[in-house]
Parts: sequence; C-alpha cells; structure tokens
Amino acid sequence: MSGPALAAAPRRTSARIVLVHTVTFRQARQVLGIALPVGAAIGFDGGATAVALLAVAATLASLAFAAVSWWRFTYTDGPASVVVTRGLLARSTRTVPRDRIRGVEVEQPLLHRLLGMVRVRIDAAAGAATGEDEEVVLDGVGRAEGDRLRAGLLVRRSAAGPTPEPPAPPAEEVLARFDRRWLLYAPLVGGYLAVPLAALGALLRLVDEIPRGLRPEVDGPEVTGPAGAAVAIAVAAVLLALGSVVGAALVNWGFRLVRRGGSLVAVRGLVTRRHTELEVDRVRGVTVAAGLGMRWVRAARVNALVTGLGAAQRRGQLLPLGPRVLAEELAARLVDDPGPLRRHPPAARRRRLARAVAPGLAVAGAGAVAAVLAGGPAGWWPLFVAGLVLAGLGVPVALGRYAALGHAAGPRSFAVRSGWLVQERAVLQRRAVVGWRVRQSPFQRRAGLATVVACVGAGSGGYAAVDVAAADVVPFARAASGAWAGALEPERLSGGRPSPPRSR
Amino acid sequence: MTAASSAPARSPAWPLPRSAVWLWATQGLLGTLVWGAVLTAALLFLPTDDAPLSALPWAGPLLLGLYAVGSIAVQPVIRHRVHRWEVTDEAVYALTGWLTRTWTLVPIARIQTVDVTRGVLQQLYGLASVAVLTASSKGTVQVPHLPADVAERVAADLARRAEQVRDEAT
Repeated sequence: MSGPALAAAPRRTSARIVLVHTVTFRQARQVLGIALPVGAAIGFDGGATAVALLAVAATLASLAFAAVSWWRFTYTDGPASVVVTRGLLARSTRTVPRDRIRGVEVEQPLLHRLLGMVRVRIDAAAGAATGEDEEVVLDGVGRAEGDRLRAGLLVRRSAAGPTPEPPAPPAEEVLARFDRRWLLYAPLVGGYLAVPLAALGALLRLVDEIPRGLRPEVDGPEVTGPAGAAVAIAVAAVLLALGSVVGAALVNWGFRLVRRGGSLVAVRGLVTRRHTELEVDRVRGVTVAAGLGMRWVRAARVNALVTGLGAAQRRGQLLPLGPRVLAEELAARLVDDPGPLRRHPPAARRRRLARAVAPGLAVAGAGAVAAVLAGGPAGWWPLFVAGLVLAGLGVPVALGRYAALGHAAGPRSFAVRSGWLVQERAVLQRRAVVGWRVRQSPFQRRAGLATVVACVGAGSGGYAAVDVAAADVVPFARAASGAWAGALEPERLSGGRPSPPRSR
Repeated sequence: MTAASSAPARSPAWPLPRSAVWLWATQGLLGTLVWGAVLTAALLFLPTDDAPLSALPWAGPLLLGLYAVGSIAVQPVIRHRVHRWEVTDEAVYALTGWLTRTWTLVPIARIQTVDVTRGVLQQLYGLASVAVLTASSKGTVQVPHLPADVAERVAADLARRAEQVRDEAT
C-alpha cells in the first residue's frame, strides 16, 4: 500500500458523458442490433405512434445503460500505476504500471467538444497475453483533466526513471503544420479513396437494418446507353474524389506536429480532435511511404517507429499527407539521414523480372497447351493471349520494383527501401536493431543474392533489404548495427571454434 | 559460381544431434500416413469414373509415393545437413531451413525471453526446442531438436547472461 500522501482517490468521468452515450447508443448498441429485428418480426401495425413509442423506449434503455456504466466506472492515477474499475455485476479492475505507458492520446469527438469533454486513450504496451485490448480508455473527462493526464502520465514517469532530469520549461518547436493545399493529394491515396466507399457501405448497412415497411421508396435514376453509363462513371469518379478530399479534411484538419520537451505531440481532426503524444526517446526510426499515385505528385507520408506502441499505424503518424520534400526533411530531423541509397545488383533486376513475368508466361503456356490438345478453333487461344499480355504488363512493374530497391548505412543510422504499389523507405537508428535475419531461397542462391532483415522492436518488427548481393550482407549488417554483427562473417570459419555443449 | 561464394553468412559451428533426423523422418512418416488415409477415403467414397477425377487412381498413389520418399528419406537428411547453431560470447546464432535457408543472429543483450518446448514426438527421442525471443516479432532464433538436457542448460545459461548484460533490450 502506498502512503496517505500518495494514495490518489478514485476519480469518476464527467456525468455529461451519460448524455453523449445515450445519444450515440454506445452501450445499448449491441442490444439494439437484436431489438430492431425482433421489433420488425412482431410488426409495427400501430404506425407512427408505435414507432415513436419504440424510439422513446430505446432511448430510455440507452440512458439506463449509459448511466449504469458511468456509475460503475472509476479510475485512479496513482504514483505507480493507473487503475480502472468497471462492470455492474462482474467488477473488473485493470492495473497499468506507469512504466508500461507508451503513449497518451486525447481525442475530442464533436459531441464531446460541445459538452467540454475529451476521451483519453492510454496506450499500455502489454505483452502478447492481452492481445487486442492493450489500451485503457477514459471516455468523458473534463478538458483540463485530460490535459493533466496527458502531461502527467508521461512526465512523472521520466522523473521517477533512472536518470532524473530537472523539469525544464518545455520548449515548443513546430515541426510540421498542415497546409490546406495538401488536401488535393487525397484522391490519389488509396486510404482516403476508401473513405467515401466506407461511408456508403455504412449507409447501406443502416438502411438494411431499418424494417422494410419503414423504408422510403426511392427510384434510382435511369441509366441507358453508353453515353449514360459514361456520364454515370464520370459523376461517380468526381464524387469519389470529392469524398476523399472531404474525408482527408475531416481526419487531418489543422494538423500540427510539435516537439515539446522530450515528446512529440500531434494534433489533428476537424470533427474529432485527436491529440497524440509520443516519447522521442522511444522513437527508433521513421518510415517515409508513398503509394503509386502519391509518387506521381511527389507526395509522401511519415510514420514514427516507436518501441512498444500499439496501433502504431494510427498513433505513429507524424505527417499524414504532404509534399515529399517536407516528408524527407521531417524524417531527417528525427533520425540522421544515412546518405544516398545504394542500388542493388543487376541480378536483383533479373529476379524481379522473372518473378513478375513468370505467372503471365505460365498462363500463356497453359493456354497454348490446352489449345493444342483441344485442337481446332477451341476457345483456349484467348487464354494464351491474356497470359502474354499479363507477362508484358509484368515488365514495367518489375522494373519499378527494382528501381525501388536500395539500402544504405550511415554512421548513426541506416535505411532500406522497397515496394512498388506502396514504396516505403525505413530509416532506422543503429540501436534499433535487436537482431539480423538473412534469408536465401534456392533461386537467390543461384543468383548470388540474399534478403537481409533488420529485426526491430518497433513498427512491423522487421525491415528488409531485398535481394542484396550475398557478399554485401555482412558488411551492411555490420555497418548498420555494430561489431557484434561480425559474427556472421564467413572469415571466422578458420578461427578456433568452441566445442558444442555435450549431452550428459 | 560455387555454393560457398554465394553464401551470405557463415554457418554456425554446431550441428544438431543425429536423432533429429529420425524425428523429422517420423514426422514425415506420420504426414504420409495422414495423406494415405485421405487418399484411401477419396478412392473409396468419391466417384472416379468422371473426367476430372479419373486420374486419381494412378496419380494419387504416385504423388503419395513421391511425398513419402521426399518427406521420410530426403528432407530429414537435408535438414540435418543445413541446420546448425551456436552460442558465442555475445550472440546466439542459428541456421534453419531446408530449401530456403534462414540465418538468425541475436545479441545476448537484446534477448527478452528464452523458451524451451518439448513436443510429444520430441519426448520420444529425448529432444527439445529452444526459442530465443526479442522485442521484435521477426527476431526470434529457433533452435529445433536439441538434446533435452543441453536445451535446458543453454536456456538457463542464456537467461542468466541476458539478465547481466541487458540494456533496454528494445
């Protein structure tokens, strides 16, 4: 037990959250999914009154659910850990030690903002045992309390850490600021193009849940002839582009990346304001990624690779969308630039070509064999032609993939790049490497190539230099991490070897 | 171009025990038995007169025979020849694979946990597997089929040394 001075009292979230949760059916949502079909099965013969009554009943039920869950939810941010208690009958207590907290995120959806509240997500880098639920959410605390938690949870820990630092006045430095013109990139980014489609999907699902009798009758516009189809496609494309711009604006509006003392703070969002805080100390590297469309207009996005960060794709975003020049500049400010990338040997290009063309040739071969066996003017020749076309299309893809390959090792960092559909360059600090993995398939062995993966306890876990010359593997690993990687060196063969441990 | 010149890294020093070959062969035998049962069931219960399945009565046993030779006689020997491991003063190093080879090197300072597992078949042959885990999901050194007592000793030794030299380990 901690002393009386340290024993923090359990706190509650703001009662106003009950209102938000009632309106959004946060707790009652699962019940609603069952209630609607049941209601539909019983039938709404009473017409408008019955529907109104049902709506009132559902709202009351939602209010009850929201009130109970608010009443039974408390949290304590003690000196050593954050404790969250919840549950009506089965009480569950979740304790997160402070030194496990990797990031604090404050977000403010529209309703929260109207009522002066925020939602705090505490990222507790738990082990694999807890799996998907590795964050603690405090939904509906006051704005001031949210700021207190965001600042306090990360700061107090470093003061209690092994190297206590004097609490210097946190100097703010703006690293990046959103420019509205960047929104024009959005129609070229797969992720944002998906936004209007997802919205459409959600709408369709909602319509599906409404009982048939209550659905309004809407006649779709008649589409006739090729001209009509062309107009429809053009309209759809324009709507898609507009939707992606709107989606990007909603998510990224007013984006700002600030370095404040030992942490990076990213703020963004139009409707839902999101406030993410990362510790600079835990940043092991950055990735600069650009899809096919983004490369075309010289845009890119930057992600931080942070050890033990859950939901890293969302949380680690340092620059969601911006000009490539700025992205590179930002990346270089966080991790030293290791210098220009080295190209991979010509054998790597041959390998890319073989891999991209082989499926098409296989299809063409199968088509030819089938056509010859079937004899006569059978319908197999189109398959042969399709295979050849596929193989032909593979050539530019292969050349693009080869052009993407590269690696470089600098004095304090190294970089690897690969990918064509989404080209990603990862720049990592030397200390990030927790191991090396070298892979060589029989084909690579014949071509004198190998793939070397830097194992990193952040991001995707491994960053690969694909198809490096076999002789370059060890020098690269050594330059990128340290002398210990020299254990891979073939020359050590001649040295005296320790005898293996014997079985007794 | 010789095989030696295109090897990207040296081979670790220590081979696996001979009994690992028998273990892999046993696994291959079990796999063959399972596929044999599946094939027998298919031949008994599926109609093999129609066009798409008419090749099954001769192609099935042929493929099964090839699989049996490959998985019982060929693959275990190649695996044993490829698999090697080594613990040096500062790192754990292993080479695994059969056709595609994988060399994994992890410095002892970055080890997070060391697991020893003994499967049912492994217990039959007195073997155990050691897995050395790091903060990275890709950075795991797997050493399969060591003598059980060696595995235990190596794991205990690695855990002790990792404790001594551990920095942040991430």
